[in-house]
Amino acid sequence: MAKLDHIRNFSIIAHIDHGKSTLADRILEITGLVGERDQREQYLDRMELERERGITIKAQAVRIPYKAKDGEEYVLNLIDTPGHVDFGYEVSRSLAACEGALLVVDSTQGVEAQTLANVYLALDHDHEIVPVLNKIDLPSADVDRVSSEIEESIGLDAEEAVGVSAKTGLNVDQVLEAIVERLPAPQGDKDAPLKALIFDSWYDSYQGVIVMFRIIDGTVKKGDKIRLMATGKEYDITRLGVFSPEMVEMKELAAGEVGFLCATIKELGDAKVGDTITLASNPSSEAIPGFKEVQPMVFCGLYPSDSQDYENLKYALEKLQLNDAAFQYEAETSQALGFGFRCGFLGLLHMEIIQERIEREFNIDLIATAPSVIYKVMTADGVTHEVDNPAKLPDPSKTEALYEPFVRCEIHVPDEYVGNVLKLCEEKRGIQKDMKYLTTNRVIITYELPFAEIVYDFFDKLKSYTKGYASMDYEIVDYREANLVKLDMLINGDPVDALATIVHKDKAYYHGRAVALKLKRSIPRQLYEVVVQAAIGQKIIARERNAPLRKNVTAKCYGGDISRKRKLLEKQKEGKKRMKRMGNIELPQEAFLAALKIGDD
Amino acid sequence: MLLYLHVPFCRSKCGYCAFHSQVPNDDAMQVYLDAVMREIALWGDRLGNVPVETVFLGGGTPSMLPARAIDALLNRLSKTFAVKQGAEISMEANPESVVRDTFLYDIHAAGINRLSLGVQSLNRDLLHILGRPHTAKQAVVAVEQARKNGFGNINLDFIWGLPGQSLGNWLKELKSIVKLKPDHISCYSLSIEENTPFEKAHDDGTIELPSDDDQSKMFLYGAEFLELQGYAHYEISNFARMGYQCRHNLGYWEGADYLGLGPSAVSTVNSRRWSNVKDLNTYVQHVESGEIGNNTEALTPHERMQELIMLRLRTARGLRLAAYKELTGRTFMEDFRPMITALHQHGLIKIRNGYLNLTKRGMLVSNTIIENLFDAMDRLQGLKC
Repeated sequence: MAKLDHIRNFSIIAHIDHGKSTLADRILEITGLVGERDQREQYLDRMELERERGITIKAQAVRIPYKAKDGEEYVLNLIDTPGHVDFGYEVSRSLAACEGALLVVDSTQGVEAQTLANVYLALDHDHEIVPVLNKIDLPSADVDRVSSEIEESIGLDAEEAVGVSAKTGLNVDQVLEAIVERLPAPQGDKDAPLKALIFDSWYDSYQGVIVMFRIIDGTVKKGDKIRLMATGKEYDITRLGVFSPEMVEMKELAAGEVGFLCATIKELGDAKVGDTITLASNPSSEAIPGFKEVQPMVFCGLYPSDSQDYENLKYALEKLQLNDAAFQYEAETSQALGFGFRCGFLGLLHMEIIQERIEREFNIDLIATAPSVIYKVMTADGVTHEVDNPAKLPDPSKTEALYEPFVRCEIHVPDEYVGNVLKLCEEKRGIQKDMKYLTTNRVIITYELPFAEIVYDFFDKLKSYTKGYASMDYEIVDYREANLVKLDMLINGDPVDALATIVHKDKAYYHGRAVALKLKRSIPRQLYEVVVQAAIGQKIIARERNAPLRKNVTAKCYGGDISRKRKLLEKQKEGKKRMKRMGNIELPQEAFLAALKIGDD
Repeated sequence: MLLYLHVPFCRSKCGYCAFHSQVPNDDAMQVYLDAVMREIALWGDRLGNVPVETVFLGGGTPSMLPARAIDALLNRLSKTFAVKQGAEISMEANPESVVRDTFLYDIHAAGINRLSLGVQSLNRDLLHILGRPHTAKQAVVAVEQARKNGFGNINLDFIWGLPGQSLGNWLKELKSIVKLKPDHISCYSLSIEENTPFEKAHDDGTIELPSDDDQSKMFLYGAEFLELQGYAHYEISNFARMGYQCRHNLGYWEGADYLGLGPSAVSTVNSRRWSNVKDLNTYVQHVESGEIGNNTEALTPHERMQELIMLRLRTARGLRLAAYKELTGRTFMEDFRPMITALHQHGLIKIRNGYLNLTKRGMLVSNTIIENLFDAMDRLQGLKC
């Protein structure tokens, strides 16, 4: 058990690629926690995907013993948080477990929208923040400019920023000293009733759910009977300890400390992030505030490209959900794609990650339908329904009103691209809320936008409109009534459910024509004419025709030709692409994917 | 059994042709004849006195052989095998090589009862492009002479889809063809074969084929026209007046056994297939050593099924669905139901009286249909394992 005033709990806030994981690696190395031999890049990012994409998906915590220059032994708990807007709630819970944060800013880049959002989150938690300017060894580093950005946008005194190179290890020791000197020690009463915050949990097939927590008040021992306040369920602690960096068992942990516990909790949903752990025998009277159930915001259909993979896909989804309570799925059937699942995600990145993990870790080829948000539909009888699948939108004649989610979106951009960003936001039905200079040449633009437009192709467009210099952050604010219609795509007269989308009426014509054309172009000539149509209700708004294949015939086939012709046809057949039946024609998977792929070419 | 006898000689090589032939000298002709005579005897010994329904002398240009050589060959064949009474005995001939002395009379007397003339075109310019060694006029004379010499069953071969040919040209040509009153007409769309001068010219862009659309119309309108004139479209490229279908070729499409004699000839007997070497001298050696026909390969059940589908679907009669069941134990309609439904909806196939056949529009894209069937067959096989 560490003394309260010798504990520092901190997180690292940084934009993707600004060097958070590298800095964490150096800290582990300098403190001697991870020897040369055990080193690997991005030590804390356990998932292959995290390491590869350079992002943190799951929160991690590591206890670092550190002997400071004042000769005292300190316990530093680094709580590594996910850095993406999709995981905003998890970030907020991780931050609630700390008293301070390192703000890592790439001195060749500057402050990004996401960084800022997380800094504000940290400030909301009354965190002390130590700015760290990374990559100062690079010739393109502009410490002055970035310092003034930090001062102007966050109001931190950048004079005291630590300039480091996480890559070379330069000045990382100063960062450790700053943590001890400038970040506050936790407060709390180790004799009060137990109150501990769950900031992460995951499923382990041997030990059940492993819970990461931060003790606010009280003391917890191995063998204690705990109660989880949101569910009221009680468990006996079978293992208690800390990660340092591997699991180390401890007899007890007290206020201010960070650790893990196992208590034969079978389902991840029973140990929800944000919940409060207390003792069954001496419960705390109130839970830690801020707990909420996370809800998926983005939905899409996932189908195996090979219908024989259905069971495998189901298995993969079960496995992934074990460790990701925010991810939801349920079985659905599409006429076009067969048996699959409707899946709900926190956001687009979350969706991409899950899809990638299914394809990579479970080796299943997927077809994903276009992502959709949750719409609210008020039917004539005054009842409001939630619709996450465009194919299930009620008939327009029965619909009284349609509502779509709006987000408040902050975009950081160099001033030369402001015009482009405004144009994009206006195109996307945005409502401008604010625009101000962050520094002399960086601007924060605030818009309210339909979430569906963000999900559609906003990121891609923003990137291309600003040559990749913009960063953005958003949060859902409310639902607003909108003039929305369901756009059906028909192939030879049959609607293809998997290609149905909900679009704003003003954009339906443009969108319908674009998808019809895309389909027409990607469908190879068939044996018969293929007509692609876009329709709103009974009204056809776009039509494209694919002329049938004209001639492919062997003129002569006599006794001496038979073997050769058979082999030729056999060979041609092998060149054939995997087909998906849509309507009454067979489509190569490429055509289908092209139609689903959102945005312009 | 069907008998095919390959004559590998041509007066000159045509630019589009990938068949095996050479320009002969007297020696080569004699060497060839001796070897074929021996090969006939060899197969007689091996197969016994098997019944033969049809004989087909093809090439090359069989009409380059002297009439007495043809007589000798047919004689040997009918002494070796049980050539049936009334058997169809066809011979391919070039117009310029039949109108000489008493050649037509002699070969008719020798037993040839079906003459297939390689006219290819009645248009002077197109004949020139094809590199044919005869004129349209010679072709007309050849037909007249053949009739006068007793040929009651005459086929004329044509090629369409030629460089510079228009749909109108082809339909006009078909009118002229019909005026010659042949009993049978073969209309082959020009295919660019590998390693031919045409392939090179096509790659170079020196020749340009009619557009896909025009070629499709040549096929569809041409076939309709010939049917109106009383020629049944009984196979993708073949038309015949009632009772004049080529029994020999129908045999191939219906899966009959056939014995091929001569260089490069292919045989299929009892589901085993082999082919003779192309080169004349090697062929002669193989005949002398007796190793000819030692290279047989058994067709797998899968290949037999593929060939059944591929060949039967060439004919207007189509695939007998029961034959598929006999070969595979499965039901064709069930195995391929979604595809059959789609093809049927779009008028590419017809199903009647237990047969499934391609319509004219289906024939036009028959390769694609067959590839799709092959692909679906593989998936069926996959399911079985």
